[in-house]
This record gives sequence, C-alpha cells and structure tokens, in this order.
Amino acid sequence: MIVIGGGVTGAGVARDLALRGVSVLLLEKNDWGAGTSGSSTWMIHGGLRYLEYDWQTTRLSCEDAGHIVEIARHLVHRVLFLIPVLPDDPHGIEQIETVMEVYDRYQPLKHAHPHLRLNAEELLHVEPGLARDLVGGVTVEEWGVDPHRLTWANVLDAVEHGARALNHARVTSLVRDGAQVIGARYARDGTEVEARARVVINAAGPWSPEVAAMAGQEVRLRPAKGIHLVYDRRLSNFVISTEAVDGRDILLVPHGPITVLGTTDDDFFGDLDDVEVTADEVDYLLQAVARVFPAIQRLRPVRATTGVRPTLYEWRPNEDRLSRRHELFEHPHAPGLLTITGGKLSMYRLMAEETADAACRRLGVQARSQTKQARLPGSESEAPAAGELAREHRVTALAATNVLRRHGCRAGAVLEDPRHGRLACRCEHLPEADLAHAARHEQARSLADAFRRVGLAAGPCAGAACIDRAAQVIGRELGWSASQQVEAAREFLLGAWLGRAPLLERRGWAQEEMAYAARRGYAS
Amino acid sequence: MSRADAMVRLAGAFARHELRRRLRRLPRGGGRRLLEMYAADNLRPLTAAERELLPAASACINCGLCALVAARVSGLRPADLAAAYLRDYPRLPAAASDLVGDSPSGLAEAAAACPVGVPLGGVLVMIRRLATA
Repeated sequence: MIVIGGGVTGAGVARDLALRGVSVLLLEKNDWGAGTSGSSTWMIHGGLRYLEYDWQTTRLSCEDAGHIVEIARHLVHRVLFLIPVLPDDPHGIEQIETVMEVYDRYQPLKHAHPHLRLNAEELLHVEPGLARDLVGGVTVEEWGVDPHRLTWANVLDAVEHGARALNHARVTSLVRDGAQVIGARYARDGTEVEARARVVINAAGPWSPEVAAMAGQEVRLRPAKGIHLVYDRRLSNFVISTEAVDGRDILLVPHGPITVLGTTDDDFFGDLDDVEVTADEVDYLLQAVARVFPAIQRLRPVRATTGVRPTLYEWRPNEDRLSRRHELFEHPHAPGLLTITGGKLSMYRLMAEETADAACRRLGVQARSQTKQARLPGSESEAPAAGELAREHRVTALAATNVLRRHGCRAGAVLEDPRHGRLACRCEHLPEADLAHAARHEQARSLADAFRRVGLAAGPCAGAACIDRAAQVIGRELGWSASQQVEAAREFLLGAWLGRAPLLERRGWAQEEMAYAARRGYAS
Repeated sequence: MSRADAMVRLAGAFARHELRRRLRRLPRGGGRRLLEMYAADNLRPLTAAERELLPAASACINCGLCALVAARVSGLRPADLAAAYLRDYPRLPAAASDLVGDSPSGLAEAAAACPVGVPLGGVLVMIRRLATA
C-alpha cells in the first residue's frame, strides 16, 4: 500500500499497517510532522468541549488519549490547566465546576487526576502572575506531547516493521488504470519515481482535496488557519486558559523548555504552502492572555507558527463551532483510493486504525490492529536515570534529560558516539551525538528537519550562535561540501525570519540583531 | 446523543452540584491538594519575586558577552543559566548535579555587561531553588 502524507495520521496509518505485516510505502512532501501536526497546540486532550454536544465523543476521545499515553510514555507529560474566573465572565464558577465534575468521570480513562477548585488566594499562590481581581478558579488535567517526536516515533516503528518511509518526496500524480488507482508518482532529489500499490491512502491533511483531485475525486474541507506564538522558555508550570475578545478559548501552554500560546481559528482560502502570520493575529492572542496574565506583555516571544486544520466541510457554523470529527472517504468511483481527513491530534491512533481496517478489508488481510498495546520506540522499557546517563556518557545532566525526553529507553544508544560529547546547541543543551543521530538515523536532511527532530536552534538565540557548527555536524553525516554547509546555514536563518518578523515590535529586536550579525557573514 | 440531550444532562449535573454546594459537601482546599498531587511531576509554583524576575531573564539572547566577564558556574558559562537552565523548571531537579559549587565571582559585573540586562545573580539563585527537589 502507499500512504500519502507524513503528518501524525499518515505516519499512524503506515505504522498500523506495518505492524499487521502489510508492505507499505509512506510519502511526505516536506518533513515528518511539518504541516498541521507540528503547528498544533501540542496536546493529547480528552475532548472537554464535546460535553456540550455529545458525551460519547468525550468518552471515546479520553479512551484513545489513554492508549496514546500508554504507548508513548516517554513522549507525554502532564499539563495542568488553571482556569481563572473573573467577575465579568459569562459562565460563573459553579457552572464551570459542574462541567469539570462531569469530565472527572472520564479522566481515569486517560490516567489523569480529577479537577480541583481553588479560591482567589490559592490561585495567586500557585501562579503569582495572574490578574488580581479573580473570583477563583478550577483546574483540569490533560497530556502534552511534542507532535514532531510523536510523528517520527510512528514513522520509525513503521520502518522497523518493514515499511519504507520517504520524506521530501512530493506526489505529483496518481497512477490509474481506467478509474482504478494503482499507484503514485513522486519526485525526490530531482527524479520522478513510479510506485504501484493495491491501495493508495490519502492522509494529506489540508492537502487531501488536492490529492483526491488527482483521481478526479472531490473531498470537501473547510480549512481553518491557526497561529501560535512560541516563547523560548516555560513561562509558568501551569496552562493558563482564558477567553479572547470574541469568547474563544485561548491557551498558554508550557511544553518542556518552550511555551505555546494559541490558537486563532479562521477560515482560510489562500495557498496552503504559503500561510503567513499577521500582526493583528498576534495582537488578538496577546490581548486575550493579558486579561488574566498581565506579565505576558513583558515577555519575549521568539517565533510564530502557523498551520491549516483539515476541518470537514460545513456551511454556517462559525469556525470555532465546527466539529473536529474525522471521516473516511471510500471513493467508490475511484477504486484503490481511500481518504482519511478531519480529526485532531488526540484521535490520530483511532483514525489510523479505522483507515487501516478499511484498507485491509480491501486486501483481505485478516490481521488486527496492535497499536493500542504496542509501545512506540523509546517506550518499550524503563529509561535510565538522567544522572546515570550523564556520568556514563560525559554530558551535562541537563543534556541527558533532553536526550531522554526524545529517545526514552534508547537514549544510551544515541549518546554512544564518543566523538560527539560536546554541545551542538547551548540553548537547547543538545549534544552533537543527538544531532548526528538525527541526520544518520532519523532522516533529518536539512537544518529545519533537525529543528523538528531535536529542537536545534529552538532557544533564545534562534540559531545565531550554533547554526554554523550544526551545519558542520549534519553536513559531515550527509556528505555536504563546505559551501553546501554555508548555504544550509544561510537558508535556515533566512527561513526562520518568516516566523520572527510578525513579532519584532514585541521585544524581539535584540534577538534580531544577533541573527542579522550571523547572517551578514553569509551575504552573497 | 443530540446536543439537546447533552444540555439536559449538564443541567441535571448542575442541579446536583448546587445541592451539594448548599449542603457543603463539595471538597475545598484545592491549593494544598494541587501541590501534593503534582509534586511528583515537579509542577510547583514560582514565587512572586521569581515571577517578577522572569521577563528580564527571558530577554537573554545567548550572545555570550557575559562569559568574557564572569567565571564559569560548575563548568557552565553564565549565559547557560538563563539561556538553557532557566527554561524548563520541572527538569531542574534531575539536572541539579550540574549546578553544585560556590557562586562564582563576577556575576554582578557580567550582568552589568549584558546588553539586554539579564540579572544573572538572581537567575542563579532562582535556578538553585527550583533544582531542589
């Protein structure tokens, strides 16, 4: 089978099929998780909002979040929401706590604690940066995850079970025999290749209408653009939840060494490969959070991310009320093609299982899905303690914790290379061994791929201090010449500009001066 | 289940909640229980002084100028404190062994040389407190 799309859903489908013993080719036009998956809010949540519509969906969502937590133990962490209530909030604290009490019934399904209620004094003790005029608040617990690592872990497991997975391989057309879809043509490294398959699965997210159209099929979506602001550090130990000026929920979410603030949700009609962040969107998010967390105005965002959700088509509801449900299109007029679209990160495993079931029915494969139980690479056994790993491999304990967060029980193998004990990126405390491993074993083919795989240049200097050395380390693994290394560094710094530009009026000039000074050396 | 059904069930849950509240049967003291419940995850509060310090600390761009002025802290450059260690508090206890030893001389001078005004002495104090499990 061929799976088109290397977001978390496509990677999950490829893994599910590979674990059943099916031969799979997975194709991604950019890098693993570089599209919608990577621009999410980085959470596996249980669907609290569905309690207003359908409690069964909340139960299913919590159940599947529980499966993901079990199979990806080293990749997930608890995120605890503080939901502060202000005197003028439309829903009083008793109404909000009622919803949390209902949600508590489902929390054990995903191994989470029940909610807590805090008075204003307790809230200010837990998070002293909150506004002073609080009524009180409640907590709710969800799980956080790095979507890039989650996607890669699925790709890696698929490959370890016999799949072939190619990033930077853009599908240019589908191979057809009459109406029947029998394969795909893709371009990679300047050459076009034709691959045949009995079933082609379109898991291209917001690009899925484009892929379906290659077989003359229509898949209708209502794409929604969402932006996030990224801060280079944890701003609080707790997620702060608030409402924007239009009543939409906005979250400030700590994830390891960064904080993600988002998201917007707007109908999108433009070019999916060229989505820009506007200053208005940035102001909308900052205004919302400043209402309950005034300190945000004095903190420095380092970049903005943007993505497009593949929301299923509906006429009339405003963007925020659109369902996040998913749908599997069987395409009866194009046998051999399946499309899976819609959905959300938290439901990726279930979407993948349903898609693989449908594909296996067509092939007569009897094997059943194993993805509820089979752990992802790195979570197969207990990981070593950070101190022990640091002593054994002569890296700082902070670097060891970072490697453990990415690789779990496989961290020791990553650090085995004795040539790479030094740090490639001091902000991220990223050992050169991990960076070299990303190039050698994790399909990082550019510095931007390394940013997604191991967090290269995700910190305060945005690559200005480390990108030269990183280009050398990766270049040595991939056989780049000296001029190719310089070009790769230049390309990375210029590409990062697009994410920084909308933030420059917001305390980002010092970082920009640094990046400019670094880039000046590469000017042609 | 339709949206109407969901709303009816939520209304029932609200009535039960109100009844329990009036009978004073709802658990309170959530602040203390939060600290106990999430201690294993190192999800602890910042102090008001640390919250006040954080915007200045987060201005660090890791330019490295401070390394020309101040001595290293247990082998780490002063900029590492703000640019790396002060980024993920829950993991600091696991990295506490990196931060042992006396406070180095020259941090005040390094802070004075910092082009964006990072208070390096205060950052070290904050990191060491957060690294204490």
